[in-house]
Amino acid sequence: MRTSVLAIAILCCLPLAAQNRMATDFEMQQMERQLAQKRDFRSQLAGRLNLGDLRIARNEPALARAEYAKALELAQKDRLDARKDSSFTRYASDTAYAGFAAAKLGDRAQAFALLEEALRYTSDDPKTWNLYAGAMALLRESRKAVSAARNAVYIGGEPLDLAVYRYTLASALLDVNERSEAETLLAKIVSDLRSPAFDDLKKSIAKKEAFEIYSTASGDESTYLSLLNRAQLRLGALHETRGDVAKARATFRTVLDARSDDAMALAAMARLSAGEERERYYAEAFAANPFSTTLIAQYRKETHPADAKTRGVQLALDQMARGEYRAAQTTLDALLAKFPHNDVLRSLRREVETARNDASNELRRVMTSWERLSPDERVALDQRTFTAVAAFQATHANGQTVIEAGTVDGVPFRFSEPTAFNGTFTDRARLAFHILGVTQQNGADALLLEPLKLEALP
Amino acid sequence: MKRALLLLLFALPLAAQQVASTSRGVLVAHDGVIEVGGWKTDGVANATGVVVGEDRAAVLDAIANRVRILDLEKRVAETKTVNETPIAGVFIGSTLYILERDARALERIGADGARASIQTAADPAFLRQANGILYVYCRAPGNVQEIPTDTFAVRRTLLTKPFASDFEIDGTNGYLVYPRAAQIRSFTLATMAAIEDQEAGAVPVDLALAGSTLALADPSAKRVWMIEGEQSFTQAFARGFLRGLLGIGLLGNRDSAFPTGIDKVLVRGSMRVAYDSSSGTLYRFTKADAAVIATGVAPGAFALTPDGIAFWRNGMLVAQKLN
Repeated sequence: MRTSVLAIAILCCLPLAAQNRMATDFEMQQMERQLAQKRDFRSQLAGRLNLGDLRIARNEPALARAEYAKALELAQKDRLDARKDSSFTRYASDTAYAGFAAAKLGDRAQAFALLEEALRYTSDDPKTWNLYAGAMALLRESRKAVSAARNAVYIGGEPLDLAVYRYTLASALLDVNERSEAETLLAKIVSDLRSPAFDDLKKSIAKKEAFEIYSTASGDESTYLSLLNRAQLRLGALHETRGDVAKARATFRTVLDARSDDAMALAAMARLSAGEERERYYAEAFAANPFSTTLIAQYRKETHPADAKTRGVQLALDQMARGEYRAAQTTLDALLAKFPHNDVLRSLRREVETARNDASNELRRVMTSWERLSPDERVALDQRTFTAVAAFQATHANGQTVIEAGTVDGVPFRFSEPTAFNGTFTDRARLAFHILGVTQQNGADALLLEPLKLEALP
Repeated sequence: MKRALLLLLFALPLAAQQVASTSRGVLVAHDGVIEVGGWKTDGVANATGVVVGEDRAAVLDAIANRVRILDLEKRVAETKTVNETPIAGVFIGSTLYILERDARALERIGADGARASIQTAADPAFLRQANGILYVYCRAPGNVQEIPTDTFAVRRTLLTKPFASDFEIDGTNGYLVYPRAAQIRSFTLATMAAIEDQEAGAVPVDLALAGSTLALADPSAKRVWMIEGEQSFTQAFARGFLRGLLGIGLLGNRDSAFPTGIDKVLVRGSMRVAYDSSSGTLYRFTKADAAVIATGVAPGAFALTPDGIAFWRNGMLVAQKLN
């Protein structure tokens, strides 16, 4: 019971992206099993909060809110039951849980009121202060979070509990840019957790082969694993921010040694690597969590090899980067069929739709306004290389594909003469081209293109 | 149907409504507005407390760190941004003192807008005043800091027990309530010296003092422990008299019992009100019995007035006389 209270707050201050992992499918299954098999209040509450966090991690906010609302309902009911039973310690802790769940739902007034109510009864309880700090951090009330976390640390507790409170304080301090104290605290947490004082716990973890990371952990093993993971991730990020790449890499490497599919550590390693190593880390990071908005933003800032064999969201991003919007749309549609509630996929799909229209519109605009283009605009157009997915009817002979006309992004085109390309292409391929002018194709306007390169679609 | 009822119960309003009795009538802070005596003005986003002075009032927003200060006579108001988590305040004359818990500070705001601030110990939770002297109870270390307003500096500090749930003073003594230990600890203001710990019920949470009446809300016992009509309860405390009454439970059979666990108690003259924050139920009570006044009232959304009680419920202010 002790750590189940603490662990709720362990991850509350961590950026959500950090908790993202498709690799946590296992954790989701575990939580769903827990909800089905364990009917007691704390198991149910932990299950709902964990599932909510995992849904957030997958960018499924509507499903996450449903889980948090169930957690709040559970806590509200149990706190009233506790009150009727005159069980005031339980009433206070349930009230704090309810406040925390309200914070998860973004209801600051209710969260504040509930947590203040909990404190009336148990202001001597560091767990309540820790939950308070976690809730305030969720609500971006960082100074309140720091103050509450300081109270928890001040009151103290057993070594693992105290490490949790210190982590919450460090996280809150980072939110207000007080990095020095935060780093000292995080380093102490990691060093304490790795010390012989926790040897028995480490043995127990090894014996059980435990590895799961939860935002709401039950039991010392889970708390230990989650805390060590999060503290090291935070510490690594601090080293990285300070520009100490070697130390940052070493810290993230340690995280991966314990859990090789940690999405945040993999993304960090990608950031801190180059060349093939960087692409390998990206592939692993996307495999672990394809829906991390942080990872996606980071990936899109960089240029990646055109011939990379990528999959899923990463493939869609590559296709978008190459201007292959139709292909990206197909990729995303397939993913959306599998993850219909995913906001990241929906957002990317909207972006592709817009980009497709823009690209198509641009080509149409060139076609319809060709005669009105100024000399400077013509020069600029001559120097520009377009890339798009071309659709065509081709003939094939001697290992070559001959194309004369087709459409790019829905706009008709024609080459000045039938052009043979090495290789066999059926009806669609990626075409790089220059625009030479406007011509006629089957009696309608069409772009006259100079083909530069034709590549098979992945 | 059961499900719907359950959800309705959960929907009990928990915040953002405050009611207070002022010299110009009942003040209500709700939905971002403040209404008092026929005057309506902008309020704060989350009304979490009200401080009432002679001709002034202040509505606190502990979440957004704002204070709306009202001159009730001139009907003017201004909003001030203050330090982290203003949870309590008092007026002495027209000067407002605000306790900013998470900044660990006590701030002074004069009628002319002049401001000053001093640091307190950790987790300052309660602010009281008597005879022009402020007393701040800091929950984590268990300090009571005495701060005369003329110097606005900590003059003396009493180290007592941490984590009290309520702190009241009566001009002579101070009283701290400890739910977990089921104790009241008192100290003398003149000497800032502890008197002694006294057992008090099962889980005492809230204390009210008025004249010669002392009332202690004990939600676990579903009871208000009360003493009245004795010489004075401060003398009773000093003599250990109350300890005997509360500790041994001699008053048990004569004190008011409630169907639910009340955790707040208000006393004004002969009027006594208790409140169960879990169900939002307001009771009036005497030594002999208790009766429900209203249900579904948010914490802070009620106040005793000169002749009764006022509470805000379902978007309406209700005033009721209490005999």
